[in-house]
Amino acid sequence: MTHYIQDPALWALIAGTPLAATVIVRERRARTKTRREKAVVESRYAELEGSYAASVHEARIRAEDATKSALKSAMRTLQGLANEQQLAISKAQGKYGEHYVLQDLLEIDHMNSQFGRRAQAIAVLCDGWLGRQRADASVYDVVRSAKGRIRHYTRVEIRSQSNFAMTGRAVEPVALALAELLDNATSYSAPDSPIDITTRTVPKGVCIIIDDAGVGMNEEEKKRADHLLSPQGPTDITALGNPPQFGFAVIGVLAARYGFSVSVDSSSPYGGVRAVVLIPEELLTSMPEPEEAPMPSRTSGAAAPEVSTSTPGGLPKRSRKGSISIVPQADSTRAPARTEAETASIMAAFQLGTQSGRSANTEGHDPQ
Amino acid sequence: MSTPGDPEALSVELVRPYVITNGRGLPDDDQFNLITLVTTSDQPRPSHLDPEKHSVLDLCSGGLLSVAEIAGHMKLPIGIVKVLLSDLSADGFLVVRAPVPPAQLVDVSLLQEVLNGLQARFG
Repeated sequence: MTHYIQDPALWALIAGTPLAATVIVRERRARTKTRREKAVVESRYAELEGSYAASVHEARIRAEDATKSALKSAMRTLQGLANEQQLAISKAQGKYGEHYVLQDLLEIDHMNSQFGRRAQAIAVLCDGWLGRQRADASVYDVVRSAKGRIRHYTRVEIRSQSNFAMTGRAVEPVALALAELLDNATSYSAPDSPIDITTRTVPKGVCIIIDDAGVGMNEEEKKRADHLLSPQGPTDITALGNPPQFGFAVIGVLAARYGFSVSVDSSSPYGGVRAVVLIPEELLTSMPEPEEAPMPSRTSGAAAPEVSTSTPGGLPKRSRKGSISIVPQADSTRAPARTEAETASIMAAFQLGTQSGRSANTEGHDPQ
Repeated sequence: MSTPGDPEALSVELVRPYVITNGRGLPDDDQFNLITLVTTSDQPRPSHLDPEKHSVLDLCSGGLLSVAEIAGHMKLPIGIVKVLLSDLSADGFLVVRAPVPPAQLVDVSLLQEVLNGLQARFG
């Protein structure tokens, strides 16, 4: 046992143990402190990151709002000008209705409609003014109006008419949404393939179905369209790509704002896309009465225009109210304007004129 | 003209004229002029006609009506009305009566003057 006491290693061990214990305790304390500090730093970091993200988000929203309000006022001016121009064109069309200029005016009218639609679409994305106040209009007229706002409108065929009309406030948004759908349909199908529109009455309202014979959409495009068409879809105008694709975003905003629904997830029997617009009952009304019923123009006062009987040949007979003569009666009371001598001299001059004319003709070139 | 700042006051027709004719060119034959008279035929009217064509047929059902009158009632450019009329008459819903040739429209007093002149000279 004594040789152990003399062993320096034992003494070293005895001296080293508390030392080591102290070191270990100190180490552990330091580690705990570091851990605590790390946690504090981490929480500060998270806090900073959070506030950074928030301020970026806020800045983005502010930038978006600024962009939107700038675009909105710019578009409002353009929309106003397009409307004004359309009025001017309408006036010119009435004025030159019989003139060959009319054909050109119709083309200008068409271009102006497209221009107006583009401005309207951007305005809608910026929560702006949609435009014209409209009276109630038949579904057929709304569809035709939409048709007139796209470039290749002659390819659009409207297959059916419905007996429903839309309330005035729904006319313009539905027409614009349909126009965007038709624009897509004509853009993504062969240049000569027709686009069919059918209208169907369903328990919930009226469905307007647009079928194209295009290439359809792939899954990614469908996903994007569904996202934009859903009521929660974002209307971030800075995230529409380059070049921006307005179509579905505009339709989504309009559908959410006015309460109709649009889906493009089925495929048409021609292989392309089938877009279905469901107009709910709230936006529908019965057919409007024409403003003034077109009456056959009879100026014969109180006399009701009786339906004339037909001739044996099938032509309608028109009962004449006045004189049938187309040669105005000579006014017997009117004094002759010229004396006989004057008349004679005029006639002589006339005869002389025709004579000289004939001789000039034979001198000038040989009549054959 | 109102200013662009007040565009709500403006209103234009919902359906533009070029949509009514579906972009077709205006008829260049001289089948219709302002005083051509048209009326409905006995042929029954189909239900799928455009509203504008229905209105034209309604207008004409009372008797003969001139192209200018129809355009006035429809508030459409005359060229557009002519397209509608040529469609309707091609399908047999309208009967067209050519206007009286202008050569028949002779003033009696003019004839009288010619006669007077001839008599003064030769008579």
